Amino acid sequence: MDRAAVTALIDRRIREIAADKGVETAALVADTPLFEGALPIDSLDLAALVVELEVTTGLDPFRNGLIEFHTLGELAALFAVHA
Amino acid sequence: MHRLADALALYGDAPVVVSEDGAATAAELWRRADALISAAGAAPILRVASDSAADVIAALLAGGRARRTVLLSTTADRPVDVGACDVLLATSGTAGRPKIAAHDLASLAGRIRSADTGGVWLLTYAATAFAGLQVILTALLTRALVVAPISRAVVDRFHAAVSHHVTHASGTPTFWRAWLLTSVGAAPQPPLEQITIGGEAVDQTTLDRLATRYPSARITHIYASTEAGALFAVNDRRAGFPAAWLDTGIDGTQLRVVDGILDVRSPRAMRGYRSADATPMTADGWLRTGDLVEPHGDRIVFCGRSDRIANVGGYKVAPERVERVLLEVEGVADAYVYPRANAITGNVLVAELVCDRRLDAAAVVAAVEAHAARTLAKQERPVRISVVDALQTADSGKKARA
Repeated sequence: MDRAAVTALIDRRIREIAADKGVETAALVADTPLFEGALPIDSLDLAALVVELEVTTGLDPFRNGLIEFHTLGELAALFAVHA
Repeated sequence: MHRLADALALYGDAPVVVSEDGAATAAELWRRADALISAAGAAPILRVASDSAADVIAALLAGGRARRTVLLSTTADRPVDVGACDVLLATSGTAGRPKIAAHDLASLAGRIRSADTGGVWLLTYAATAFAGLQVILTALLTRALVVAPISRAVVDRFHAAVSHHVTHASGTPTFWRAWLLTSVGAAPQPPLEQITIGGEAVDQTTLDRLATRYPSARITHIYASTEAGALFAVNDRRAGFPAAWLDTGIDGTQLRVVDGILDVRSPRAMRGYRSADATPMTADGWLRTGDLVEPHGDRIVFCGRSDRIANVGGYKVAPERVERVLLEVEGVADAYVYPRANAITGNVLVAELVCDRRLDAAAVVAAVEAHAARTLAKQERPVRISVVDALQTADSGKKARA
């Protein structure tokens, strides 16, 4: 998957989580921070999202330990394959 | 030991044990026993010739006749220190070398009342394992035929049970769930009078499904281990055991809960390890089982093994407790829940489901997700559910766990 497809997947999943919680979400952009309360997701939501990305892309960027990421765009980059 | 020789005499010329290889009578088993004795010479230990049920019975007879200790393992190292005991059993040791537990036949058979039932027992455990030996001793002391299929496939065991008119069968909850799935809609069914469950914590759903399929059968779940021996049996078709037993004890066994883990003090415990392993017992005879329990009304229910607790985002979760909840959903024939490493929370739980083939798997998964969202804490909910044809099982008949 390229970066746009991964970003779309993350975007869709976060909107579903927000909808389940009955919360409105502002427009998501690459710079949207994942951890600072800007989004209605907690660490367990994010953990599930990472599993979905791992399974969907077949990639395991955290294999050798945690890589720092803060924003939606940075997470998408970890799972994107460059053409 | 002569309890066994006397019991065998009652069979006359009737078969004692039958497998795909044919049947063996008492005379044939005694021939094998004598061959084992002459082959052993002056060795203090008689080693079982194979892991077949017939050879296990022959080894027990040989041990009694020659007054030797019987090693019920074809692979374990001979222990240096034999000490006085009748039987040496290898544990199913999940990690590392198997431990060797020393037992006496009198205590192994301590909960078995001799009778002449003429029943037919299905052996689903390895004949050399503690649970298999319990089934064999129970069958022999009640003059029952032992049906011991060599094939480990549940479908083959079911067909063996039908063709030999099995009346009594013992297996793990994982075995029984696979049996229920395999035999759904099958006719004829074996004429089961006794269903015995052990080796893993049994859940209410599995008990209920067995009771529905075999309404006239007595359903017993047994709490036992290689080290502690047979502790107690529960016959009221309810999961767990009466909380009152913590005060009163049961069948000579004392029970206590320390830090959420069940401790037992058993009159039928092993004499000790004969391998180079530290004793698992305290000086005053208590054994830490490692089984997590919690009170549930008037019952104490099992929640899984303490060494399988996973840390999910700082929460301690018991995968086996989650399995029990997923099983409550109609169409879930069995469930395996296990931790998967996760960069965010350390671990998350994921699940494999075996689904009733008559139902749409996608609908079952959706129902499971809804049920999990209603009844489980968020950290307990599997983040990914996959559907598989069957779960992997260990040689012990228990669910294979990574």
